[in-house]
Amino acid sequence: MKSQHATANSGAPSSVANTVVVDHLSKVFNAGKPSEVRALADIELAIEPGEFISLIGPSGCGKSTLLRLIANLIEPSEGSIMVNGKSAAQARVDQDYGMAFQQAGLFDWRSVQKNIELPLELKGWDKARRADRAQEMLELVKLPEFARYMPWQLSGGMQQRVAIARALAAHPQLLLMDEPFGALDEMTREHMQAELLQICNVTETTVVFVTHSIPEAVYLSDRVVVMSPRPGRITDIIDVDLGRNRDDDTREDDRFYASITSVREALRRVDDGTTSVRPRGGVDDR
Amino acid sequence: MTQRAVQRVVLFAVALFVGAAMWEFYKVIGPADGGSVFGWHLIPKSNNQAMPHTWDIVDRMFRPESAALDEPIWRTILGYSWYTFRLALVGLVLGVVIGTAIAVLAARFSIAERAIMPWVIMSQTVPLIALAPQVVSWSGKFDIFGWEWKKWMSVSLLAAFLAFFPIAVGTLRGLKSAPPAALELMDSYAASWWRTLIKLRFPAAIPHIVPAAKLAATLSVVGVIVSEVSTGVSGGIGRAVISYQQTASGDPTKPYAAVVGAAVLGLALYGLVVLVDVIVMRNRPQEADA
Amino acid sequence: MSALTSTPASDGDHASDTSDTSDAIRRAVAVVWPPLAFGLAFVLLWEAVVKGFDLKPYFLPAPSSVLDAFFDNLDNVWSATRVSGTNAFVGLLAGAILGVALSFALMRFDVLNQLVSPLAVALNAIPIIVIVALFSSMYPSTSEIPRRLMVTIIVNFIVLVNVSKGLRQVSRTHLELLRSLAASPSDVLRKARIPNAIPYFFTSLKIAAPTAVITAFVSEYFGGRQHGLGYFIPSNFANSKTAIAWAYVVGACLLGLAFYLISILMEYITQHNRGPAPGGA
Repeated sequence: MKSQHATANSGAPSSVANTVVVDHLSKVFNAGKPSEVRALADIELAIEPGEFISLIGPSGCGKSTLLRLIANLIEPSEGSIMVNGKSAAQARVDQDYGMAFQQAGLFDWRSVQKNIELPLELKGWDKARRADRAQEMLELVKLPEFARYMPWQLSGGMQQRVAIARALAAHPQLLLMDEPFGALDEMTREHMQAELLQICNVTETTVVFVTHSIPEAVYLSDRVVVMSPRPGRITDIIDVDLGRNRDDDTREDDRFYASITSVREALRRVDDGTTSVRPRGGVDDR
Repeated sequence: MTQRAVQRVVLFAVALFVGAAMWEFYKVIGPADGGSVFGWHLIPKSNNQAMPHTWDIVDRMFRPESAALDEPIWRTILGYSWYTFRLALVGLVLGVVIGTAIAVLAARFSIAERAIMPWVIMSQTVPLIALAPQVVSWSGKFDIFGWEWKKWMSVSLLAAFLAFFPIAVGTLRGLKSAPPAALELMDSYAASWWRTLIKLRFPAAIPHIVPAAKLAATLSVVGVIVSEVSTGVSGGIGRAVISYQQTASGDPTKPYAAVVGAAVLGLALYGLVVLVDVIVMRNRPQEADA
Repeated sequence: MSALTSTPASDGDHASDTSDTSDAIRRAVAVVWPPLAFGLAFVLLWEAVVKGFDLKPYFLPAPSSVLDAFFDNLDNVWSATRVSGTNAFVGLLAGAILGVALSFALMRFDVLNQLVSPLAVALNAIPIIVIVALFSSMYPSTSEIPRRLMVTIIVNFIVLVNVSKGLRQVSRTHLELLRSLAASPSDVLRKARIPNAIPYFFTSLKIAAPTAVITAFVSEYFGGRQHGLGYFIPSNFANSKTAIAWAYVVGACLLGLAFYLISILMEYITQHNRGPAPGGA
């Protein structure tokens, strides 16, 4: 890796220790035009290695925008983002993170194996090494015998598992997920959540997870970041005290309900603060 | 949106200008009598006979068709285009009626869809426009409700034959595009199939019908021109192109004037459909530009 | 656009095609019989009308006499079909290559795109076939080049419009994914845009193939050497040799059908493991 962390200008000493450091971040879309939107204002956030963080909030709170800024898919208007101690742009070039989207986004002209190999191809790995890693990933997501299948032959949940395998193929330390289970039915969803936690425990990956489901955020996360819209701000960060080993019983634990209640109350405060914003169950804003 | 339209027109003008410049450039560098590449006579002749100067073409528009006439040729050509335009319009309307009827039939009866649609599609993959002379030969041979079957009716019928296809396919797709929830809603009102057709399926189909109608407009013009050319029906622009081309050795810019007339005609009918589109779709959300 | 979420197989059922062959045959029969029955009924009705009303042969020949004329003139029909078919094929090939090349150029150079797009819209609206009359004075009088050029131009625009769409309309998720992987523009082209455009290319070919045949023989109407379908069809009609004219029309139909079927076959061979086809235009 060619990580030349030349510009360590921010005085924050913790920026190396933390996986993600978001400092004084703002984002304005269509600046100067009539359609100008302040998507995010003054965001501060530090994410420790191995942490599972959820971003939750009503439509228009900018949670997806924040994720895309961390991924350097878009550029901030103000402030800075450090990932693994480097600029977000450098982290993207170094493939320091993997990403999964609401749409599995598999290439329907590639087999499952070839889809998982895509990041490795772009890194210039040779064929044998790619195949080995793809098989390792397929075992991780419990689809070992599906290497040669085409994406359209898989169910929605299986496709999303392949997408996660692809995101983790290069063994990144950070996984960015944008409502990855949003299109799945509730049963498949809970199943996928349990598997994701298991995968993260095995690989010790740090995760930033965007969702609009309160139980999902609580079940998965070490901390839930609650956001409010217009402009997007962080209003609350709620610690979830459920330990690291969570299973289906966790969903019936009193502490689980207690955490859900506190996230819900935090969201309700968001709702009261603004005029008519309500967390809709729809697809998130852009 | 208007800004975009202005931009498009300007770009179109620039593109035309670039095209004209390339034309003149080729006339400077190209061989006067053409040439061969690998034994194929691919290189066009660049002499004034084969490729007249662009300014000569423009100049020709303002001179009469023949010495016997007074009016500039563009007026004469406009007359031919108008003749063809009327036939194409009749063909387009007929094509819309037939195409819609087939689509409704196919949407109503699944067996009709399965039996007819393959033939509808096949009718376009096989060049039935070749039958133009046969259809035109029927003119004057029989009456319909006391009307004598005239040549122009045959020509319009052929245009309709080309035009109905996109309408039938587009309308059928549109009729089927009504969202299931809306169909269930109509069912819950115990609405009959026909009422559902009128209240829901047709309005839902319009965004599919409009692009189909644009295509149908062009095809209808092509149908009329090809029929004119292959059957010798005179008075229209297709015949003018042929007769001007046959005298091109003496007057090389003349066929170009006729081609411009054909282009104007095509754009006019297309524009008519766009106008209808704008009126019908004025209350709908703007779609992303295609 | 991506058909990924449109047809998710249920979790247990992931096999592509486990159905037995008899089932497949039954399904094929179900697809084939209605149009066959309709076609047969149509031809029989036609035959009955011609015989029953005792229509004059120049008015409308019976299907049986067309068939007779077709086999009696098989050699002539074949040679005319070969002339027009060659023109159509050469033009189709050249137009497809040109169309693909141009769509890449338009993708790469936005200036070109800005200039060509409005032109393409306008060309869509005009009966472009008439310019074959202009081409014919640019080449020797016996040349087939004007006709081939005409086919090339028309095919080019069909392919250009569709392939451009395929290169551009890449799913947003795919683009974000590739950006997240720091893919270079050429990676995006090779890994996402080109594979995405391939089905669009075959769709355009399916439209272009029969169009090429029609264009090829209609171009013959506008003068030039007289040995193709576009000469023999109208001239036989003009001489009231209607059944023979119809025999040439049958040749034209078979040619158009052959081109169409070949394009479908090519699509099937290259695309059959890609799942549900995207809706091309």
